[in-house]
Amino acid sequence: MNLLDIRNLSIELDTPSGRVLAVDKVSLSIKEGEFRGLVGESGSGKSLLAQAIIGVLEDKWHVNADRFHWRGIDLLRLTLAERRDLLCRDIAMIFQEPMSCLDPTTLIGEQLSEAIDDSQFTGYFWQRKKQRKEAVIKLLHKVGIKKHSQCLTSYPHQLTEAICQRVMIAIALARQPILLIADEPTATMENTNQGQIFRLLANLNQLKNMSILLISHDLENLTHWTSTITVMYSGQFVEAGTTEQIFNKPMHPYTRALVDSSTKANLQIPAKSRLITLPGSIPILKHLPIGCRLGPRCPRAQKTCVVAPKVTSFHGHKVSCHFPLFRETRRKYMQKQQVVKGTE
Amino acid sequence: MLKFTFRRLSLFVFTMLVLTLLSFSLSFLFPGDTVINHSGQINATPTELVQLNKAYQMDKGLFTQYVAYVSHILSGDFGQSMASQSPIRDEIIELLPATIELSLVALLVAMLIGIPLGFIAAINHNKVSDNAILSMAMLGYSIPVFWLGLLAILVFSIGLGWLPSAGQISLLFEIELVTGIQFIDILLSDSPYKWQAFSDASAHIILPACVVALAPATIFIRLSRAAMIEVLATSYIRAARAKGLSFKQIIFRHAIRNALIQIIRHVGLQFANLVTLAMVTEVIFSWPGIGRWLIESIAQRDYTAIQSGLLVLSCFIFIIHILTDFIYAALNPLARGNKYGS
Repeated sequence: MNLLDIRNLSIELDTPSGRVLAVDKVSLSIKEGEFRGLVGESGSGKSLLAQAIIGVLEDKWHVNADRFHWRGIDLLRLTLAERRDLLCRDIAMIFQEPMSCLDPTTLIGEQLSEAIDDSQFTGYFWQRKKQRKEAVIKLLHKVGIKKHSQCLTSYPHQLTEAICQRVMIAIALARQPILLIADEPTATMENTNQGQIFRLLANLNQLKNMSILLISHDLENLTHWTSTITVMYSGQFVEAGTTEQIFNKPMHPYTRALVDSSTKANLQIPAKSRLITLPGSIPILKHLPIGCRLGPRCPRAQKTCVVAPKVTSFHGHKVSCHFPLFRETRRKYMQKQQVVKGTE
Repeated sequence: MLKFTFRRLSLFVFTMLVLTLLSFSLSFLFPGDTVINHSGQINATPTELVQLNKAYQMDKGLFTQYVAYVSHILSGDFGQSMASQSPIRDEIIELLPATIELSLVALLVAMLIGIPLGFIAAINHNKVSDNAILSMAMLGYSIPVFWLGLLAILVFSIGLGWLPSAGQISLLFEIELVTGIQFIDILLSDSPYKWQAFSDASAHIILPACVVALAPATIFIRLSRAAMIEVLATSYIRAARAKGLSFKQIIFRHAIRNALIQIIRHVGLQFANLVTLAMVTEVIFSWPGIGRWLIESIAQRDYTAIQSGLLVLSCFIFIIHILTDFIYAALNPLARGNKYGS
């Protein structure tokens, strides 16, 4: 059964010139124990989607969806407070720039211990304090911080980014979540620290069977760790499938471009030649193209692309494109040509 | 922390040196003889004048004169008041505590009213209560203090008769002067009417303190509102929400503390403004403080008193500044390692 099942989630932003559709009908599903990656350029609405799931978006954003299920419970029927209660217990989130996500004036120990809820403890209230401290130390050991007493009595600005991110993960683990959403957890770190954090996440995924939604703009790095990947572009769903499907046989021109733009993915390219990129850059929210938002940059765009494509599934490999990169059956191709002719 | 204290202390010493330089130069700028401006003895006989000239080293160079002047001040000799011919030191010791009392109570009132209201406005950002509090703050800020003081006397003392209009305490009570701060003196005294005196003194301080507090309170409202809105938009508040804390927990554990840190620095800056307001209010409410005394000295062209009054008041304000800096450092772990005494 799907842990999280979202169908056609849209996020709108109130601006002085009317509402803007920032995220347009994105579907996402996560199974138990799955390590899913969410990829896209900066500004493609990945973080928005994650924050909408956990319900910490500000009031100016409006979220609606056709289906929003969490472990079989229809969240759309619950009130906002009930939904947050339920989700905060089961879903945890870590953010980019961990240093700014920790309260600068409170000790790490306090911030950690307040994340643990009382229901995890047994015994009388005078035993709670000791138990709480033990639980905090155990959490720090779990994320690989050995000098726990030093860490607990320091302020965030006295620690490095990587340690802060570990503390954030420890805080996230405090509620024993079923799903961990990691929003570019290594955006400001150097390579060694990045590897450590990713390895920690992979360990949690394998040993504790915790599902992880990893958000990143770095497709190449992601493929080492994830089992499935969802690709987004400019607030629209692009493609979803297993890591092998996405990486080896991308069907969407955008995913193709993403894969081509990395060196390792494309060893056939001769040395010192330019990498293949799409012309232009991601559209800003004020000037979104109609239909498929990749349209103006897409090498395969045709007239039909002014209408947003429907999601089609090929053996679990979902793609949202009128002209996907694979051999279509003759009949389907003819049908499409007729549609194109019909619009002329 | 020792380094931090040392930095603040050295800053204090140098600022005081500059202030004494200013008040020293005032003696030359005021009309009349410099040594008489220094000492305030307008009716000095020729022999006394010779003594004074010797005491202030008037025959030597400017630097020696300045050193003599500073050593006089350090030994507690501010000279005599030109108007009353009594030592200024005694008058200041008698009057300054009353001003300290009034301004501290006013500061407390302003903070207790202003900061929570600002927080409430920020939490209900862009709602009716936010707008109501903001417009009230605007209104309160634009009312001049002398007019408000008169109006308060008219309504609460004359119209309703709830509160006394003048003085620090009713003349019926005889309180021995120990520290000079009325409330402490009352508590220290062993008079059988101690508690009556205490309630009488509290009734006397309510009106002037509220009048002084109004303008700073409105500034605190705006400051704390801005600080709170800023804090609530930070990513650590968002992270705390994702952590599963309730709204109350977030406000009380994280938001208030971080917002207070931003406000506390401005409190020190506002204090100078508050003392100025207190000076005007002391005149209106016949409060026996140093502000009223200073304004009277200005009216009487009592140059010696003006000099020393300025020195003492600015010293007081500066000490409050340093105290707020210490509170700021105690609340904010980031400030303790600050390099320069700013």
